[in-house]
Amino acid sequence: MKVFRRLLLIEWSGLVAAIFIGASALAFIAPNFLTTFNLYVMLRSLCVGLLVAFAQMITLGVGQMNVAVGAIGGLAAVVLGGAMEVFGIPIALAVPLAVTIGAVGGLINGVLTVRTGINAFIITLATGSAFTGINFGITGAIPFYEMPPALTAFGSGHFGPFPYLIVAPLIVAALLGVFFARTAAGRRLLAYGGNPNAAELSGISSEWVVVSAHCLSGLLAAGAAVLAVAQLGSAQPTIGSDWLLLSFAAPIIGGAALTGGYVSVLGTMFAVLLIGLIENGMVLAKVDPYWVQFSLGVLILAAVGLNRWRAINSGTD
Amino acid sequence: MNLAVESVAKSFPGVLALDGVSVDLKAGEIHALMGENGAGKSTLIKIITGVFRPDSGNVLLDGRPVAFNSPRDALAAGIAVVHQERNLIPRFSVGENILLERLPTKNGLVDYTAVGQQARRYLDLLDRNIDPRSEVRSLSVAQMQIVEIAKALSLEAKILVLDEPTASITGHESAAFFKLLRQLCGEGVAIAFVSHKLEEVFAIADRVTVLRDGKNVATGVPIAQMTRQKLVSLMIGREERVAQIGERIVDTTAVPLETRKLCTSLGHKGIDLALHRGEILGLYGLVGAGRSELAHAILGAGKITAGDLLIRGQSVRVRDMHDALTRFRLGYVSEDRKQEGLILMHSVSKNIAITIWDRLGGALGLISQRREARAVAPLVGRLEVRTPSLGQPVRNLSGGNQQKVSIAKWLAAEAEILIIDEPTVGIDIKTKTHLHELIGEIAREGVSVLLISSDMAEMITLADRILVMRDFRIIGEVANDHIYEAVSKAIMNRIHTVDQVEPVGPSIGSAVR
Repeated sequence: MKVFRRLLLIEWSGLVAAIFIGASALAFIAPNFLTTFNLYVMLRSLCVGLLVAFAQMITLGVGQMNVAVGAIGGLAAVVLGGAMEVFGIPIALAVPLAVTIGAVGGLINGVLTVRTGINAFIITLATGSAFTGINFGITGAIPFYEMPPALTAFGSGHFGPFPYLIVAPLIVAALLGVFFARTAAGRRLLAYGGNPNAAELSGISSEWVVVSAHCLSGLLAAGAAVLAVAQLGSAQPTIGSDWLLLSFAAPIIGGAALTGGYVSVLGTMFAVLLIGLIENGMVLAKVDPYWVQFSLGVLILAAVGLNRWRAINSGTD
Repeated sequence: MNLAVESVAKSFPGVLALDGVSVDLKAGEIHALMGENGAGKSTLIKIITGVFRPDSGNVLLDGRPVAFNSPRDALAAGIAVVHQERNLIPRFSVGENILLERLPTKNGLVDYTAVGQQARRYLDLLDRNIDPRSEVRSLSVAQMQIVEIAKALSLEAKILVLDEPTASITGHESAAFFKLLRQLCGEGVAIAFVSHKLEEVFAIADRVTVLRDGKNVATGVPIAQMTRQKLVSLMIGREERVAQIGERIVDTTAVPLETRKLCTSLGHKGIDLALHRGEILGLYGLVGAGRSELAHAILGAGKITAGDLLIRGQSVRVRDMHDALTRFRLGYVSEDRKQEGLILMHSVSKNIAITIWDRLGGALGLISQRREARAVAPLVGRLEVRTPSLGQPVRNLSGGNQQKVSIAKWLAAEAEILIIDEPTVGIDIKTKTHLHELIGEIAREGVSVLLISSDMAEMITLADRILVMRDFRIIGEVANDHIYEAVSKAIMNRIHTVDQVEPVGPSIGSAVR
């Protein structure tokens, strides 16, 4: 019992257990779960979600929110598609351009938050609407279909059950892990999130922290959009419109503190995996997709409940 | 480096916190900054460290005027500070907190081995038992304070400002710390030192500056020319006019509120108090003595771990504020009226009627503005709340009138026991007197009042008896005959004579640098 309690005190222990139990159950119930093709489909569906979750995780780390992740993603997607289809810009230039657009969107969010002193939730709610407006205004809601074959090949290629796409979120995860654990800049972000007052009194620039967090968040949202275009084979203006729930669910289920100051890259990854597993399982079991949404809600409540229990038990409440 | 503050003024909405204050810190000297709660010490420190900008006056570093826009600027100029409130990042390690804004890196990555070693150097000067790798949230309050001091030391500043650095550490640790301060002084650091422990000040300071009500009452006086009694009387001063609180009859046979050997999860030990009907019982102590926390524990916000809480002779536990009011007719006027006592954007009548909405509801449970106004108007008249109308948002009223509104809501609810916490903080002298008379009148009508205040004059004006608190215990009772001089000395002596600065410990680490 004591060992069990100890284990529960590790952030992502519950997640790993849930994934293990869920996967075992699925392997047992659905014979097609463990096929190479099904695993590939499931893993491919996680790639975009991982970057979206990381994008939100960074703003949560400094104690703020970015509800414009989806809007920035949509804008980056059409910039990428338009650059390649309309202007014939090669992939090697179009992708950095799209990612830069995302970073600039985040920069705008950060600067507005810092300069006006208005809550980032409100700022990103407003800029998100504006970004979506630009997106639909330019495209007239019509997707770009003529994507270079190299991009779509990357989006659908796989090595056994592992899609090529998954390389991107894994690299980003490793970089973020090092960033938050080992770089001075990453520690500054978390210090500010943990106690803004103390961080400022220690001479950490709050403006720098907030602006760079939003900038990074926008950059990752655009990265997610690039993966989404590669995966879909077309640049849909609607990319990003359904990201919001996942973007909060995964970092929070993964153990991030909503008040800021603590994030878990590994926990967030496990959370995305668990959500992907649930979606996949429900498809295999032919459950109405709306129930996926329901179970995601229940999962968030359970995860937040577990975090609260942990806080009380470890006496850090 | 020398730092001089020249006739600095700073005001906040409704209060003049500093009014032409001067102080000069000289290299190689420990300068004590004294004053009662609210005298302006913390504001002065925040100006020196760049948190606030003065409205007028100058801050000079080695004779050159400087204007700090942020704590960063002050840090860069060589000014380090240990603030009164805790400023640590709970999820970070001790070492990271100490070196927060200048973490050592190797190949662009934070070098945690170096963090541990560098932090260790400063920690060892104070306490060898704190591991730089442990998370700050797992430390005790005393250990956190040590970490804060180590953090300030690690800046190797030329000007070191310490705002009550020893409030929660033990005698042994203080002794090591003081020896260290002397050493730093010898190396040419200028130190400003705020403490409520007079013995410490006499043991360590070279000169002393005393503030009262935001003004200098002594500036840079050598400690040798100061006596304990003189310092105390400079700090407390005297009030201009004393409120006329008429005679009251206290019914000592009825005890509406009593605690017996009460211990709480917040840290109180063996609290015994008995509040009689119609009595004003004072609870005096320095900030951090555990007075407000005691009120919170009585009201159910902290757990009672041992002992008894009796209301009207019955041993009870109060669950929360709602329970306190509906079951026990017990009300609480919070010390933080803006955050806890009032809903600033709501009207006067809504703020007062909030406690009686259940009763005001008509047949369908609907509350009409007319009913609300009818219930509230007599109270507004009786307490002389100055407001253009009952519909006026409370935030537009002056501080004094806001306080009247927060008292009125408990009177509307017919509370029989009222805990009033710091009723006149930030309220001007005239309104203060009026509020005092009001509290006296409430008590005369039979309400029992437990008064928490850090304002000595207020305490002596109002209370029938004064309990003195320190370190979450009641350390004595002073009968109040309302003679300021005698009672204030009696209280101050209670608080300060308990201090003992332990002799310097046998081994302290090597020098700082």
